[in-house]
Amino acid sequence: MNYELVSPRDYLGKLLVNLGKKYNNLVVIDSDLASSVRTDEFSRVFPDRFFELGVAEQSAMSVAGGLAIEDFIPFYVNFAIFITGTAWTQLRQICYAGLNVKLIGTHPGLDNGPDGATHHSTADIALARAIPNLVILVPSDIHEVDAAIEEAIRINGPVYIRVARGDVPILHKKECHFDTGKSEIIFDDGDDLAIIFEGSAAKQALEGYFELKKFGYRCKLVNIRSIKPLDEEFIKYIASKVKCIITVENHSVCGGLAGAISEVLNQEKHRPVLRTVGIKDVFTESGNATQLKKKYGLSTEEIITQVKNVL
Amino acid sequence: MLELTEIRRLKYLATLNRKKIIDMIYYGNSGHPGGSLSIIDILTYIYEKVVDLNSPDKDRVILSKGHATPAIYAVFNHLGYISDDELYTFRKINSRLQGHPVTSTISELDATTGLLGQGLSIGVGMALGKKLNNDIHRVYVILGDGEMHEGQVWEALMEGSHYKLDNLIAIIDYNKLSSLGNVNEVMNLSSLDKKLESFGWNAIEIDGHSFKEIAGAFDKAKQVFNKPTAIIAHTIKGKGISFMENNPLWHSRSLSDKEYKDAITELGF
Repeated sequence: MNYELVSPRDYLGKLLVNLGKKYNNLVVIDSDLASSVRTDEFSRVFPDRFFELGVAEQSAMSVAGGLAIEDFIPFYVNFAIFITGTAWTQLRQICYAGLNVKLIGTHPGLDNGPDGATHHSTADIALARAIPNLVILVPSDIHEVDAAIEEAIRINGPVYIRVARGDVPILHKKECHFDTGKSEIIFDDGDDLAIIFEGSAAKQALEGYFELKKFGYRCKLVNIRSIKPLDEEFIKYIASKVKCIITVENHSVCGGLAGAISEVLNQEKHRPVLRTVGIKDVFTESGNATQLKKKYGLSTEEIITQVKNVL
Repeated sequence: MLELTEIRRLKYLATLNRKKIIDMIYYGNSGHPGGSLSIIDILTYIYEKVVDLNSPDKDRVILSKGHATPAIYAVFNHLGYISDDELYTFRKINSRLQGHPVTSTISELDATTGLLGQGLSIGVGMALGKKLNNDIHRVYVILGDGEMHEGQVWEALMEGSHYKLDNLIAIIDYNKLSSLGNVNEVMNLSSLDKKLESFGWNAIEIDGHSFKEIAGAFDKAKQVFNKPTAIIAHTIKGKGISFMENNPLWHSRSLSDKEYKDAITELGF
């Protein structure tokens, strides 16, 4: 696999600075983690448009709502677990009011390996998905993250963007296009099976695809891009073609991508077998993120095992 | 300074608004009379003397204690934004008058509230935004005393003074009762003024049913620079209906036919 591996999180500051130049009303909110989520770069270029609120995530979320009411485009950037978990009812109120707040959740899934189970964001998609009005984007590489943030600005309403801290293969060209509610097919070799992944699990999905190809499986590799709205028509089309769908996600197998896809498949009369690859429904532990992903169920090997169990 | 005739007019309007609160809760068979009646004098004052809803350029008001929303609906009815007939739809299906305030149905509201503890933070966001926009208007946030138990309120209090938000005014409806009973027995808030001052706020204590004192506090808040102001309004829960006053039973409760008759008779209807 000859793909450059880059952590999109590392470029968030740069991306927001560029957008800050383009949009005068873009402001950034921080909860004492600017250096970890890289928004410190924005704070140096636009100190007046950067609000440090300390370790107070619930208030930060509601403050973002207040800024949106004053016609700003607030970006609240924090670890995925805090944005969706610690401040869940605050987020829900923002969505209820339909406020133009943009949320970027970093360190999704097991990306924050050594911090342990407390900081592993294995339920953020599930938590976000249950809130009406909230658009959920799961871009993969740095260029797709860039395009997703631009897309979020085009949407007048709350958007949650999940951004990997771990290395993600560069699958997209610079200035790629991003449409909310549209997935994309990266490879299409035939109708044996389809691997559908969310952005922060792109590495495992891509490696799985190449491994399966070696074994002779004709595979579709699908980047879901947008969890909500979900590209239901495309999923139904894929389902009508393949014998098996494998979802791959850096998230619990409960309530995330697997849940979203199965909700669509369940409506279909004839459907392929669905197998889910992701983090098991358990509390995890500290460790190297790659090792943890392997141990808790998100790995290339797990993709191969699941496929071989079915086909 | 308010002239005597103006005070009389405001008192009269507040009485009309009390009647509307009772009507909404009686006909809706659900709602929070106690906290609506304790805040109605201040809300009547705000929308008569401070905020002009007809102007696009205006101060903002956040009813963070969203369960007192009958009070704001009563004021909006008086101002013509909610019809008389609509008042009877409060808390019923297909109504704009939700049990807690929602901007999507009542656009004259400045914020969607109801989950306690969040309004002051929304106000901090607005106040920061107004400073950044060089907008001279103010943000008024109305909180319940029970709501002061919420940790998020104290996060927002820190933020208000940290950012020197002299355009942010918190009004605490200190009626001394939360849902269960004496708010300070449920969880002690005292000394609220000292707590607020130690958080860097300018604290003003008033009788929240005296229009003279309400007007004085709002005027004083405008003369404070580089720090936000908290108006601790000492009020009576259920104010105006003797059998409701200071009785936690009336935090959330509808009225029987007899209670309704007694209540509106006492108000002079």
